[in-house]
Amino acid sequence: MVAAPMTLTRRSLLRGAGAGAALALAAPALSRLADARGLLTERTLDDVIQAGLAAAKKAGATYADVRIVRRRWESIQTREDHVSGVSASESYGVGVRVIAGGAWGFAASATVTPAEATRAARLAVDIARANARIVKRPVTLAAEPPHVDVWQTPLSRDPFKIPLEDKAELLLAINQVALKQKGVKYVSSSFDGASEWKLFASSEGAYLEQDIVRVAPGYAVTAVDVGKGEFASRAHEIAPMQAGWEYVADSTMLADAPRIAAEAVEKLNAAPVVPGKKDLILLPSNLWLTIHESIGHPTELDRALGYEANFAGTSFATVDKLGKLEFAAPHVDVYADKTTTGGLATCGYDDDGVATQKWDIIKGGRFVGYQTTREQAGWINEPRSRGTCYGENFGSFPFQRMPNISLAPGKKELSLADLVSATDDGILIAGNGSWSIDHQRYNFQFGGQTFHEIKKGKVTRMLKDVAYQANTLAFWHACDLLGGARTWQLGGSMSDGKGEPGQSNAVSHGCPPARFRKIDVLNTDTRRTP
Amino acid sequence: MTAPARGLDAAAARKHLDRVLGLAKKLAAGAEVSASLSSSRSANTRFARSELTSNGDVAQTTLDLSIAFGKREASVSTNQLDERSLRAAIDQAARLARIAPEDPERQPVLGPQRYVAVKGAFDKATAGLGAAERATAAAAAIDAGVAGKLDVAGFYEHAATSRARATSAGLFAFHASTRASFSTTCRTADATGSGWAGAWSRAAGAIDAGALATVAADKAVRSAKPRSLAPGTYQVVLEPAAVGELLGFFAGAMNRRTADEGRSYFSKPGGGTRLGEKVLPAHVTLTSDPADPDLPTAPFAGDGLPLTKTTWIDQGAITNLACSRFWAAKHGLAALGRPGAWRMAGGSAASIDDLVKGVKRGVLITRFWYTRWVDPRTMLITGLTRDGVFLIENGAVTAPVNNFRFNESPLVMLGTSDAMTSRLWQTPTGLVPALRCGEFNLASVSEAV
Repeated sequence: MVAAPMTLTRRSLLRGAGAGAALALAAPALSRLADARGLLTERTLDDVIQAGLAAAKKAGATYADVRIVRRRWESIQTREDHVSGVSASESYGVGVRVIAGGAWGFAASATVTPAEATRAARLAVDIARANARIVKRPVTLAAEPPHVDVWQTPLSRDPFKIPLEDKAELLLAINQVALKQKGVKYVSSSFDGASEWKLFASSEGAYLEQDIVRVAPGYAVTAVDVGKGEFASRAHEIAPMQAGWEYVADSTMLADAPRIAAEAVEKLNAAPVVPGKKDLILLPSNLWLTIHESIGHPTELDRALGYEANFAGTSFATVDKLGKLEFAAPHVDVYADKTTTGGLATCGYDDDGVATQKWDIIKGGRFVGYQTTREQAGWINEPRSRGTCYGENFGSFPFQRMPNISLAPGKKELSLADLVSATDDGILIAGNGSWSIDHQRYNFQFGGQTFHEIKKGKVTRMLKDVAYQANTLAFWHACDLLGGARTWQLGGSMSDGKGEPGQSNAVSHGCPPARFRKIDVLNTDTRRTP
Repeated sequence: MTAPARGLDAAAARKHLDRVLGLAKKLAAGAEVSASLSSSRSANTRFARSELTSNGDVAQTTLDLSIAFGKREASVSTNQLDERSLRAAIDQAARLARIAPEDPERQPVLGPQRYVAVKGAFDKATAGLGAAERATAAAAAIDAGVAGKLDVAGFYEHAATSRARATSAGLFAFHASTRASFSTTCRTADATGSGWAGAWSRAAGAIDAGALATVAADKAVRSAKPRSLAPGTYQVVLEPAAVGELLGFFAGAMNRRTADEGRSYFSKPGGGTRLGEKVLPAHVTLTSDPADPDLPTAPFAGDGLPLTKTTWIDQGAITNLACSRFWAAKHGLAALGRPGAWRMAGGSAASIDDLVKGVKRGVLITRFWYTRWVDPRTMLITGLTRDGVFLIENGAVTAPVNNFRFNESPLVMLGTSDAMTSRLWQTPTGLVPALRCGEFNLASVSEAV
């Protein structure tokens, strides 16, 4: 049901009136919000939201939300001794989502005015009515208090305020160091800063403003042996993070450049891996993506129920297995979390206006939790949404997207060295290479950036052309050692795709290094293994 | 400004771009300026579990603006085209350009160019579609599946788009087009069978949702309770969606610079490129033509460089590699832009069934999923089969089989191909035939259905 007309406005909120009394923001926070909003004034925001909600109600919507989203990107790319690209982008607009006749309707406009919000709201209701004639299960939303709040990424140095020269200087310094390595021919490096600002208001009275900042630095070094017709690339493993420039400035990217460059050359001449079953020690820089694909995606409730069948696929983790399936070895705990500091998917509220949470996905090896939205919670008789609804942009229909999903560290404080010394015949894998998994999340194959042979508890030499291939359940049952809390790290991706039309979501996965016993390893050089 | 329901027309685009260039001349005196406008209205309807789920209708115009002072350049993009936003964008680009380190690879903006005439890229009926038409198409698909007690999911999307580009040196380029796509997946109630069908076209009228759903439903039923087939190297018949997907990796790697730099399959050991080498059988020819009446595309690349009819592989020999303006200028080559769509020449087989008839023991594959690079030296790609995999014995499809992970190269797909259909189908890569290849490495079993 549509609630009483909203009387709370952004202006009253920030003046400390009504429910917003506790939300008095410090000057730096207000200044950041002003930057994130750009040319959108408080009056405009208030008027647009009121117009959108009122038009939706008048047209007969039983629920409506208005989302004004502004996204900014700044990017700098370099190669070898020069900057090859400097770009900045911004987009903003307003999206109106409604329920009418039991069906969803959604429409959006890049023009943030009351008139356009009104038009979008009416169009959204029209679309909902067109769809309502073939809806069998009317949409119902799990209850959530109408939150009123402001949430911002904790950071100390806004990346959009750091001079371009400083960014170029760091990247070109990395290139210069890497190119000193004999055999290295090419280096590319880049930095991306992303700002996602959004204002969400619903017909139930939610009123939420969020300002999320992410940074994504990186570089890759390529060694070429023209005579042999061989080449190899080595990318640094630094993870994208929800943070400011301090994350980049404090990183070891530059200090690591000599090693990364040396490893690119070493890859050219490394020993080809002998295929077979090996014990793998996967570093967090590799394992995060395996967690993402083999645990993150199959535990999305919409997938499990068939809502992604035409594109991303379905899931082996079907609803009848919830609480029953032995997903992993008994010491494996995996949790979902939209509250971890630094996590790319961390925020205060999702795009249903639900307060973000932390909950178990795998507990003691058993599958115990799904990712849900307000629409989905009722599908598995849960009273409340897990708060994982997300729309990439103002023009994107919000749907269930992955929260940060992480593997808990082992109870014992084991180090990476402890894992290596306990391994007789294995491979240590760092970084991400190739990745692929089937549409129900059983069969996966992953590469990496570097592969080191382990013999009798010691790292012996570099290997090349390695990929591991496994079945999800067999793989997670083969996990027998976990690093301790001190070894736990976040990895992540700025662009996880799902849905039609495709939407991108930024998400992190934390984990310790972990050992997996007797996993199939392939040699991917088909010239050697025809 | 509100984006028009059908994308900007040429006159409106020129007016906007003139305004941008005029403002830039004032606000960034002495700069070289290029500006592109992309304007679209795209709408979609999604369905799953045999009912409509989500939808959208979004109109948007995006300006991409580059400002350069000598070799210092910066680019800014915005979807806000009011005077104040334009001024802010120009100011930001100029400010970034002034402090950007010099880019020795930067090329001057292009002046006026001659483009080939492209006809038929814009279909008015497609531009005018609405939610009711999409719901009707979705209902047709759902009805076809539900009749067979199947779970139906799918996606219908259409868009009207225009692209325009202008520079301070006098270039103006414009292209308007429409596109429509419909795909559907049917799954059996026991979750052991799944079938897919899809189509892409510039005209929604050319897409028959009910007929596609019938194909997907038939495949779902026929693929149920698959027989277990061991991994291995098999003779395969690849349907067009599978061919298009693997061909896309090959076409995407056709780059002169990475070949010259020694870091691509197209590099020749010892130096140089494989240009001129006959690396594929004589029946493999790959071309592109923006004026192709079967698939018209923009006659210019992103920087405004004219795209013309080009032969990339001529009867098995590599004849062209895409080459940027910088690399061309540096090495005395002709710049060659990447086309909007590729066309792979077909063969003589009358149908996919005809291809199947020539297989003693092999596998028929509907489409691939989650394809990724494994090794650029050999163009090795990994991925999985999906939504309809069948055993072929003695020239006939005899049983559904499990899905597979493959590790294979498009070089092997094309290199061992021995027959193709004469008919071409439109895929996201371009126009491709179905083809039969002699060997294909289905490396491991996937339990997925």
